[in-house]
Amino acid sequence: MSAGTNAVQQRLQEIWETPKTVHGWFATVDHKGIGHRYLATAFIFLIIGGVEALIMRIQLARSDQSWLTPETYNQLFTMHGMTMIFWYAAPILSGFANYLIPLMIGARDMAYPRLNAFSYWTFVLSGILLYVSAFMGQSPHGGWFAYAPYTSLRYSPGYGMDFYALALIFLTISTTVGAINFIVSIFRLRAPGMTISRMPLFLYSTLTISFAILISLPALTVDCVFLELDRRWGTHFFDSRLGGEPLLWQQLFWFFGHPWVYVVFLPATGMASMIIPVFSRRPIVGYPYVAISTVLTGVVGFGVWLHHMFAVGMSDMAMSFFSAGSMTISIFSAVQVFCWIATIWKGRPVPTAAMHFAMGFLALLVIGGLNGIFTAIIPVDWQVHDTYFVVAHLHYVLIGANVFPVFAAFHYWLPKMTGRMLDERLGKWSFWVMFVGFNLAFFPMHLAGLGGMPRRIYTYPAGLGLDGLNMTATIGAFVFGTGILLSVINFFRSQHVGVIAGKNPWNADSLEWETDSPPAPYATVHIPTVISRHPLWDDHDEQDDPNNERVLDEGRETLSTTWLDAEPQSIMKMPEDTISPLLVALALMMLFVALIFQWMWVALAGIGSTLFATYYWLWPRPEEELA
Amino acid sequence: MTTATVVPVRPIRAPLETERGTFAMRLVILTESFLFISLFASYFMLENNKDRWRIEELPKLNFAIPMLVVLIVSSVVLRWGELQVRKQRYRAGRMALALTILIGFGFLTLQAFEYRTHWEHLTPYTDSYGSIFYTITTFHAAHVIVGLLMLAYVLVLPRYAAARESPYRPFHVAAMYWHFVDVVWIFVVAILYIGPHL
Repeated sequence: MSAGTNAVQQRLQEIWETPKTVHGWFATVDHKGIGHRYLATAFIFLIIGGVEALIMRIQLARSDQSWLTPETYNQLFTMHGMTMIFWYAAPILSGFANYLIPLMIGARDMAYPRLNAFSYWTFVLSGILLYVSAFMGQSPHGGWFAYAPYTSLRYSPGYGMDFYALALIFLTISTTVGAINFIVSIFRLRAPGMTISRMPLFLYSTLTISFAILISLPALTVDCVFLELDRRWGTHFFDSRLGGEPLLWQQLFWFFGHPWVYVVFLPATGMASMIIPVFSRRPIVGYPYVAISTVLTGVVGFGVWLHHMFAVGMSDMAMSFFSAGSMTISIFSAVQVFCWIATIWKGRPVPTAAMHFAMGFLALLVIGGLNGIFTAIIPVDWQVHDTYFVVAHLHYVLIGANVFPVFAAFHYWLPKMTGRMLDERLGKWSFWVMFVGFNLAFFPMHLAGLGGMPRRIYTYPAGLGLDGLNMTATIGAFVFGTGILLSVINFFRSQHVGVIAGKNPWNADSLEWETDSPPAPYATVHIPTVISRHPLWDDHDEQDDPNNERVLDEGRETLSTTWLDAEPQSIMKMPEDTISPLLVALALMMLFVALIFQWMWVALAGIGSTLFATYYWLWPRPEEELA
Repeated sequence: MTTATVVPVRPIRAPLETERGTFAMRLVILTESFLFISLFASYFMLENNKDRWRIEELPKLNFAIPMLVVLIVSSVVLRWGELQVRKQRYRAGRMALALTILIGFGFLTLQAFEYRTHWEHLTPYTDSYGSIFYTITTFHAAHVIVGLLMLAYVLVLPRYAAARESPYRPFHVAAMYWHFVDVVWIFVVAILYIGPHL
């Protein structure tokens, strides 16, 4: 490496590095820092939600226990559901996407770095807002889907459901701007030559869910606005005495809710599509089929939401249509599963810890998919509706197809993020303990559900044949928790004793492995070019740039390309570090807190300060003129 | 790895990217469209139970139609201003922008009068019809206010900074939002005001 390159590296370092000061900590817009924070915060929410689940399992271990009061139990399962679905499952995937996507496409940051920081701050503040309710002893208690009219003020007094509605509206802001950021980054910042047919599959899934978020999330916002208006402002959306319609809540909620299942599921399949080929030592089988079925899952995912409502009494026509739609979805998942199996079959599988988790994901996804087909069949659904069978199904899908791939991704990408390898042996131990614990915990729930045990009950009488199943489930839950603990120990241990990872420890194919581990703030000196689907497996030198045309060292800049063919088009200027995203997020926090407690003057002040902070954010700085 | 021989390194200059705001605004409009689609879907779903849906007095068109005209005129004026800015006639552009904002305030004033007369026989507390009627129109009014804030921001935007050599881009982005808000009002008038007469 010549002296010239070193000087360039130093200059790029100075341009992109965030100073390690307090101000720098709050002001950073670096996607890697934000990705770290997303991952850490979402993981903390996983632990919190997990502890809530374990408390519930202790209560249910034996019949007729009254360790928890019914109200406490209701609050626990509601907080568990909300934490896991909204503050863990989707944000942890955003964390990976934030960290990895710019590296995977050879860009130096996301398209809107400040919006990215804003997305993180609103995410963490909305989570804090939700947990304020726990300290007041007034957590939401209506289940994560909060069916009206049970959640109206008459039946749910106190502030619990107000926290539910407003924390969720606050979170939708974060998720929406995040989705916009991902779409534009993926469409406009791909390295020259990375045409749409050469994108890593993780990008397809993130792109699909980002559109799904933009289309489905407004329904949740509207629903929560209706709920809050009904509770505190005297309207009658869900009040059937004055022409309201309780089913309106369910329709809007599930129009959002089912696409959301794919939001927390598809990126995980995308990560599996990245990990399985690397450890099978061959390109994925059927790349176009995996890509197309990912997109189609997102599209057809909008035609299945009524299957959550088969028991409310609808026309046969509507139910048949949505039953068929739900079964159609399984075709697309099956295409992906067969592609993964074929990849392993035709390759030379390497049984790393990450591969263990990916294979575990495959097994659990198939079980969760099959019992999902059970519940898509209307008569079966009527039988098992609101029983533990559904609890078993949704945990097989959400843990099997979110937690397991996420752990695969941790074992696969943490060496890139930290520069240290995790311990393989401990990783495999963690996998087997989690896998056994998971099945021990959730498989008996199928039987409990078929045996008639309803969901969301704080206890059950003895002598119904449920005692043994529940005790098994409780033991399994603790075993599963132990497995997660092993991975956490592995992570902290690796920071001290882990083997130095180097650039590409897995001999992987995608561009993020071209950078150092951990990556420099500017990623690579030259913006890479790509000529195939597997840039690091072909003969092409991504960094080949004899005239230094792709160094871009005149300030924070990255290359923008056309959305289909990824031909270089223009240079995108990137913003400097700023605390204005944090200020806007704090101003919004003030607004939402005020709305919960009906402090109207504070709410007005919140709107005003949001406005001022936004203008401060957007106002062009004189120093930009010099650039 | 290739070695860099020339120090300092200068890349060949590609043009600066200017369309990021437009992309984001397109996606904002996509998601906002679904916000209003959800609201209209709720309207239809509530209406579906006709026996409990009490419209004692059909909504009058005497304000809604003039409000529609006002908004369409504002869009035309704004579009004209946008074309002027693109031709670098900034003065005309700013005048059109100021005029649009004034017309926008006119719309909000008409909305206030509309609410005052409507309130005499229908409030959000009357029944679910009143609830959804006032929610949709208030959501729209809030969007008008946000649109006005965007236009006001463009109006006072200074013309320095390299990336903003011409104020055309911010102008264009704010205008996109304003046109979107106008289109929503067309649907509001068709569904909420004209629909019950049919």
